[in-house]
Amino acid sequence: MASIIDIKEECALHVRDFEFTYKGAAAPSLKKITMPIAKHSITALIGPSGCGKTTLLRSFNRMHDLYPGNSYAGEIEFEGRNILGAKEDLIHLRTKIGMIFQKPTAFPMSIFDNVAYGMRLQGIKNKTELSDRVEKALKDAAIWKEVGDRLKHDANGLSGGQQQRLCIARAIAVEPEVLLFDEPTSALDPISTQGIERLVIELKERVSIIIVTHNMQQAARVSDYTGFMYLGELIELGETEKLFVTPKEKLTQEYITGKFG
Amino acid sequence: MTAVQKRVFINKVALTLSTLSALIALGFLFWILGVLVMKGISALNWNIFIFDGAPPGNPESGLKHALVGQAILIGMATAIGVPLGILAGTYLSEYGKNSKLAHTIRDISDIMMSAPSIVIGAFVYAIVVMPMGHFSAWAGAIALGIIMIPVILRTTDDMLQLVPGELREAAFALGAPKYKVILSVVYRGAKAGILTGVLLGIARVGGETAPLLFTSFNDNFFTTDLNEAMPSLTVTIFNYATSPYEDWQQLGWAAAFILSMFILGLNILGRLILLATKKRK
Repeated sequence: MASIIDIKEECALHVRDFEFTYKGAAAPSLKKITMPIAKHSITALIGPSGCGKTTLLRSFNRMHDLYPGNSYAGEIEFEGRNILGAKEDLIHLRTKIGMIFQKPTAFPMSIFDNVAYGMRLQGIKNKTELSDRVEKALKDAAIWKEVGDRLKHDANGLSGGQQQRLCIARAIAVEPEVLLFDEPTSALDPISTQGIERLVIELKERVSIIIVTHNMQQAARVSDYTGFMYLGELIELGETEKLFVTPKEKLTQEYITGKFG
Repeated sequence: MTAVQKRVFINKVALTLSTLSALIALGFLFWILGVLVMKGISALNWNIFIFDGAPPGNPESGLKHALVGQAILIGMATAIGVPLGILAGTYLSEYGKNSKLAHTIRDISDIMMSAPSIVIGAFVYAIVVMPMGHFSAWAGAIALGIIMIPVILRTTDDMLQLVPGELREAAFALGAPKYKVILSVVYRGAKAGILTGVLLGIARVGGETAPLLFTSFNDNFFTTDLNEAMPSLTVTIFNYATSPYEDWQQLGWAAAFILSMFILGLNILGRLILLATKKRK
């Protein structure tokens, strides 16, 4: 039986009996997952490759809907409604729940236009407002000092770590409630990784964060809560310190001590 | 002869034969280009760009009529072929993807690309020239536009597919609707490739003669009337070069030279654009 702690604080998201099945698959890839995601804190998802952590993460902003034939069951509650409903406005949902990808995804346009992209989609045209908010987002993403004087330059000229912070700036510029990080540092060098981790911790004051990581030390360093997944099930969800020191489940202990994975 | 010596010998023979074949093939190419440049440049003069076609023996004869006609035909063909080709390519890459319909369209497009252009000329003759009752620039442009479509469709499809899926997902994750993702991210990422496809498409139809013979036909006079037969460089080359008159033959060489340089230039430009974008990445 899974061991899921009951979070006393306010929750950003509530997953209940959630199941996800890829197109044409005989069995669901995620099975009966129930987990609360605490507001303004960082929840890490760990587990061996293929355990379903990225699949779960991509369910929160319904990224799976881009590819037809996948199906959801159960419930993910966000702002008082089940976002798995057929009538959910995905465009609106994705402005509320942003995502950062494994590889930096700078668009082929200038640094300014990258950060302004989401705001322009929301119909903001006022130049002063746009440039104020671009500057603020870049400052919040700790990259303003490096790019503030070359906002018109092509974003693809930046280093990998800078591009990843640019993507974070782009995501927070639209002021989402939740940010999903899908292994955001696996393509980066150690110094850039450190920068991103520091940034993620700073950001939790304003957004709720869910981060998928292959790196257990990273989960231990940055997160408040950690969920351990295995074969499509959530085995354990607990406060990070407790989960890594005194895991309640045998599987969790075996994984974090390196017995498999 | 030992086994090793035998292999070395066979290797040398194969190398000599293939090098020789390559040299012969290239030799013909340079021969053609050489003759074209020599005869073409010596036939070039300002009169060519100032005067229209004239009866043989008239010193005031040129190619202005054919140059303008060619430009009009290619311009119209581009206006027909480019939007259709790009939109169809977009459908294949962004909407159809691996569906049966998309694969069928790709196959048909490949067949169209290798279809003899004279067949397309005959088709347009049947559906445009016959009902209208006369040759016209419209018919010529439609024929060239049809020939252009598969070239642009295929390059657009290929180039859009090269844009990483993560970029699309990142745009969707910011709340972009699909058409915005395509317009603002995917097209931008593939713009050099698409532009190259357009240039190659124009180069492909620039040298077509057969489909024009029974669509826009030809004319030895200057015209901008799209409902009339329209002169083109290619058909003019055919007519002048096969004529018995020395001065017409000269004009034919000049036209061949100008046309070849135009198409060569487009091809080089297309390659340069691709090269420049590859370097940047």
